[in-house]
Amino acid sequence: MGPLIPGGYIPLEWDSIIAIFIGIAFGFVLEASGFSSSRKLAGVFYGYDFAVLKVFFTAAAVSVIGIYYMDYLGYLDISKLYVHPTYLWGAIIGGIIMGAGFVTGGFCPGTSLCAVAIGKLDAWIYVFGIMVGVFIFSELFNLFEPIYDGYNFGNITLIDSFGWNPYWVIFIFTIIAVLAFGIADLVRKKIKSVFY
Amino acid sequence: MKFLSNRYLILGAILIILAGGLLLLPKYEKQEGIRSKQLLSHAISPERYISTDDISHKIISQDPSFILVDVRDEESYNNYSLPNAINIPLSKLLDEDSLTYLNQDQFDVVFYSNNTFLADQAWMLCDRLGFKNLHVLKGGLNTWYTTIINPTKPNEAMPETEFKLYSTRKAASMYYGVAYPDQNFGNDLPTTPETPKKVVTVEKKKKRKAEGGC
Repeated sequence: MGPLIPGGYIPLEWDSIIAIFIGIAFGFVLEASGFSSSRKLAGVFYGYDFAVLKVFFTAAAVSVIGIYYMDYLGYLDISKLYVHPTYLWGAIIGGIIMGAGFVTGGFCPGTSLCAVAIGKLDAWIYVFGIMVGVFIFSELFNLFEPIYDGYNFGNITLIDSFGWNPYWVIFIFTIIAVLAFGIADLVRKKIKSVFY
Repeated sequence: MKFLSNRYLILGAILIILAGGLLLLPKYEKQEGIRSKQLLSHAISPERYISTDDISHKIISQDPSFILVDVRDEESYNNYSLPNAINIPLSKLLDEDSLTYLNQDQFDVVFYSNNTFLADQAWMLCDRLGFKNLHVLKGGLNTWYTTIINPTKPNEAMPETEFKLYSTRKAASMYYGVAYPDQNFGNDLPTTPETPKKVVTVEKKKKRKAEGGC
């Protein structure tokens, strides 16, 4: 069994429909957890709110543990999962740019759309900025193309490229995540609480 | 309620225990290819075997839809084999070069050996890997010899169909170069060597690009 669409259990045509429902659910949960607040998102950089860090670490740990258990029990074929290709320098440069945008604007692209949906003005400006960025990138694509297309390492994972045992990677990752939660809590208790 | 005050500690502990549990799971070899049930249903399907008469007919009518695969060793193959057959010894069955012939869905693949033993093994391995259109020559070359090359003449008590079959087989054997005393051929009929077929391999479907982000 599984993954459901590549495995042929759900026809490919349902792909976009399922994606829309998952997208709506994702947006709802983001908004309900306060992720449409730029202060909450920027808080992780300034050290007064670690919700983002906790949420994403928890999501990663829960899904990776769940996926590997399902793979072990035969409900899911891990080799059929899509692995996003690694464009090394593109990812590094893009990561820096996105990080800078994240800390200055207080949104990541996904949460900015959430905030647009509830009518936040700063989010409108942020999304406009994204569009300007997209425009500049498209216009200067010839210039950026060597970085954009180059350094493609294919659909690799840490486990493939270093030959690590996935179970140890997961175990160590989980310990790092739980430690991060603990440290984040300690930091939060030490600093003066920020009202927003 | 005391219990709930420690809920984050408990949840963190559960994560670590579950991740550690993955490490402690006993290792097992994952099954590759099709499931055992499917393999069984393929194995007992009558379509698995193809008779020597059918193959002979296909060869004579120059049916382009199949590939004959001789799974015996190279020496036996060089001594005698069916026309246009390719030689893939069982030990080389899973080589890269062999797979281009076996893993495709353009042609029917017909395995044969002296009897059906090696051919069945080859069939089983390939079917397990999910290859399509696999067949085994029923009885292998031994049956080929007793039916096509040297058919036994039916006696008078046998039904007419046997006589018809015999004359078909006799005609076929002449095609393969057997001379009969009642025929006036000076020498063996030359069989025209044909070039091996070009096999189009199945290309794996490209994965659709997924876009994502936070």
